[in-house]
Amino acid sequence: MTDLNNKYEAVIGLEVHAQLLTKSKMFCSCANQFGAAINANICPVCTGQPGALPAVNRQAIELGVRAAMALNCQIRNESIFARKNYFYPDLPKGYQISQYEKPFCEKGSLTVRLKSGEQKQFGITRIHFEEDAGKNVHASHGTVVNLNRAGVPLIEIVSEPDMRTSHEAGQYLRALHSILQFGDICDGNMEQGNFRCDANISVRKRGDSKFGTKVELKNINSFRFVEKAIEYEIERQIDLVEKGEPIRQQTRTWNSSKNITELMREKESAHDYRYFPDPDLAPLVISEAWIKSIRSQMPEMPSQVLARFQKDYALSEYDAGVLTATKELASFYEQTAAQSKNPKASANWVANELLGRLNAAGKEIANSPVKAQQLGDLVTRIDQGEISGKIAKTVFEEMFLTGRNPAEIIKEKGLVQISDTGAIEVAIDKVIAANPSQVADYKAGKVKLLGFFVGQVMKETQGQANPGMVNELVKKKLD
Amino acid sequence: MVLLMLSKEEVLKIAQLARLELSPEEVVFFQNRLGRVLDYMKELNGVKLEAAATVRHVPEDAEPFREDVVEEAFDREAIMRNAPALDEGGFSLPAILESE
Repeated sequence: MTDLNNKYEAVIGLEVHAQLLTKSKMFCSCANQFGAAINANICPVCTGQPGALPAVNRQAIELGVRAAMALNCQIRNESIFARKNYFYPDLPKGYQISQYEKPFCEKGSLTVRLKSGEQKQFGITRIHFEEDAGKNVHASHGTVVNLNRAGVPLIEIVSEPDMRTSHEAGQYLRALHSILQFGDICDGNMEQGNFRCDANISVRKRGDSKFGTKVELKNINSFRFVEKAIEYEIERQIDLVEKGEPIRQQTRTWNSSKNITELMREKESAHDYRYFPDPDLAPLVISEAWIKSIRSQMPEMPSQVLARFQKDYALSEYDAGVLTATKELASFYEQTAAQSKNPKASANWVANELLGRLNAAGKEIANSPVKAQQLGDLVTRIDQGEISGKIAKTVFEEMFLTGRNPAEIIKEKGLVQISDTGAIEVAIDKVIAANPSQVADYKAGKVKLLGFFVGQVMKETQGQANPGMVNELVKKKLD
Repeated sequence: MVLLMLSKEEVLKIAQLARLELSPEEVVFFQNRLGRVLDYMKELNGVKLEAAATVRHVPEDAEPFREDVVEEAFDREAIMRNAPALDEGGFSLPAILESE
């Protein structure tokens, strides 16, 4: 496809729906809570009972404004809620409260780092508030509607069609996800659908200024799948153009077991949502004073945490980048470093040992069997000479498997490092007695054999001798 | 006044959007009736408003926000009683088929 990829370019725009981390819903006091009993969190407002009136959740607005700030958007001091009218069983009112002509903010940007090391800025067209719909659960005997999600606050973040490759789209999503998480704006849980992405993709010959017919990809629940789906879609569309076939305006979805995009529906006619200002809601006024107060309480953004890790903990940009991939990981690392008082070693343990082990076990940092305090404690025990770095790996493995504290494991398995001069000397004498020819060679000038003796002593002590001390004492004995 | 008439197709499109089924007589009736609504809108469009400030339907100083607090707002059972059929706590419907 390389030649064809030189001939064509893809144009990709992304729409992200992010649920806001509020306690209650957008327009009523029902709990915003995933996994509650079916229809446990419903009231007249979110089930669309006649005469019920919406009241805007102040916190939802504050979280939206945070997102607007983090994405460098221009905030409108006065915006309008609009009704988007359509019929679907998960939408009890017959309309979704959204924002149309005047969203609360526009014209932002997000700068991301690409694998080439290059930084690229993508435009954010707009962010607007809206309410989520309920859920239709399709069963064999019919459909069951659960309205717990109806009225949950969302922001929809619409990008400019600025991305040209699946990698750019993936990096944009990762960066956006991270900002929303670090800002305590959205928990980012993609399996629960709290962060959802739709992608608009078209292809055109390089140099053309007109966009091709776009296809919308919906309901993809992981970054990797979004990238794969976009890659597949670009190739599918180029293939059609090469064959002289038209690209139809469609909505497609990703089939992760077949690794292809599949048709969901053809767009027969433009949707006619008949947007109009919601007469139940006053214009949304976000004053400069309010914006200032929200700005003053803005949580640390990923780029700031990255810079702080490099500065305060003397971490490399690479390590700091790994440790700030998610908010949970960054906070896990900080707790580990605070416990161990050794930021550099803690970074190595978290970024290499723990992440590697979690990865192998298919676990997330949030469900790590080893807690930050325990890992910090392990690092301290290495620093204090209680165990060697090598033994620590054995202890760590046991911690990972059982979730137990390092002290317990070290004690139970008798893994404490031998730092007792007498005991080490006994082992050295034994090794010297057993290897007379090597001793002679060493004395004759083959000083490289020092390593051999240290190795033998470590073996003799089952790896528990303090390697620094062994080195020193072997030299003393032989010289 | 010139009476505006909607075409039959326009009335049927609007009826489809509102999920209403109209008899042929009703279609004719609404061609006329909706035309009168549009006529009235035309008349309103003629009003000179440049000098008037935006009229809000709520007072400027009205506090439109609700604090983010969870409250039991209503008897849930009363809402559930409105449902024609329930299925393990969910509103039960015939299978949904996608259509325009």
